[in-house]
Amino acid sequence: MSEKNREGKRTARERMQEERAAEEARSRRNRKLVVSGVVLAVVAIAAVVGVVVQNQRSKPETPVSAPVGAIGPKNLVIPDGPANAPSVLTVYEDPRCPACGAFERQFSATVDQLQDQGKVYNNYHLVSFIDRSLGGKGSKLGANALACAQDAGKFRDYHDVLYKNQPDETSDAFGSNATLISLAKQVPGLDTPVFESCVNSNKYSGWVSAVQQDFDKSSYKSTPTILLNGTPIYPKKGDEEISPDNLVKWIDAANQGKPLGTTGAASASPAPSSTAAPSGSTAPSSTAQPSATPSP
Amino acid sequence: MAGGQMSEPRGGFSLRRAVDGPAGEWFGLAVRLGLAVVWAWAGLAKVSDPAAAAQAVRAYEILPESLVKPVGYALPFLELALALLLAVGLGVRAVAVISGLLLLTFIGGISSAWARGISIDCGCFGGGGAVAASQTEYLQEILRDTGFLLMAAWLAFRPRTKLSVDAWLAM
Repeated sequence: MSEKNREGKRTARERMQEERAAEEARSRRNRKLVVSGVVLAVVAIAAVVGVVVQNQRSKPETPVSAPVGAIGPKNLVIPDGPANAPSVLTVYEDPRCPACGAFERQFSATVDQLQDQGKVYNNYHLVSFIDRSLGGKGSKLGANALACAQDAGKFRDYHDVLYKNQPDETSDAFGSNATLISLAKQVPGLDTPVFESCVNSNKYSGWVSAVQQDFDKSSYKSTPTILLNGTPIYPKKGDEEISPDNLVKWIDAANQGKPLGTTGAASASPAPSSTAAPSGSTAPSSTAQPSATPSP
Repeated sequence: MAGGQMSEPRGGFSLRRAVDGPAGEWFGLAVRLGLAVVWAWAGLAKVSDPAAAAQAVRAYEILPESLVKPVGYALPFLELALALLLAVGLGVRAVAVISGLLLLTFIGGISSAWARGISIDCGCFGGGGAVAASQTEYLQEILRDTGFLLMAAWLAFRPRTKLSVDAWLAM
């Protein structure tokens, strides 16, 4: 009798325990579901917030302001040389890129001469991607300072000075505005309060970013990328290696039978005809390469 | 917790008990925090320059242009969210599974770039974009991500770790 009673009690207790265990398991399962839901929600919200925030933070592909005389559909290109010259040399350069420095040191005298003879004008794309891989600000601030020099009409001279004084790729000397301004003292008449404030305020940071984003979307992957009338010529044009002599030869061949450009006293940038409103549609030269769509 | 102790009543060395017991949970904590650091580092390195993050995605030449920016913009925030969840230990198993899927995607992307012969930096921890063919490090990048994948796999199979919100919620 008492034996049975005890058994009954025990089974009741076991049942209760089982129920409690089942209840506990159920509630644990529910908690797990809720937590998994929370995790998914956090991850999804983070992704959406990321798109919204980064979209807001990123600089527009069409710059709000561009240096004086910049050309191309979005005013991303700095022209240099006689705008009506028969050939155009399109140059994508990063201020920190060592191969660009080597190119400039080897070719700038030849290019200056070709420009001064009315044979060619340059379209410069001042890209700035080395900062991304090596860290620092030298590409971006260097490009901004070059844009400031363009405003002052001293692009070509300052461009040559910068590449002559280019630091090692891993050194971020151009990341200091003081360095960029002290180098500007080598160009007579460039180091003015207007230039210094343009450099120090990083006035063209938005434009510099737009130029880089345009390069990102182009099919070109490295600097220097150099095109003669739209055809890549660096490091080779077909089977021929680029050299100052070959460059002259190629340009002379391309110019055959065409009138040379007018070379006024001012071969310095901005090119005389390109100082008009930089509104894209009034691009001074019809032969200017639209920035991201080179003819193959 | 009690279940683990009951199923192994006798003493003596048992790998299973080591993995399930407190030692395993401390190890799990280390793995969890390690993976949190990885995601935080990856996210922070990519968050400062949206255009660079987008270009790192574009360089793979896999996604259409319309998806390049959304993915490049969302990814660092996603990684930071995973880092945060791992750091506090909330929903460790779900976070580990998402981490694993993400890492598999990365490994697939890098392998694809390698197989197609394009030369890029994976952009895993900032940077990214085209590099010279001699500067690609596909094997190292894949091995590194595989290591992270193993960490995620551990947490997916052993999500119970010390000092976690999960433990506090008695999950």
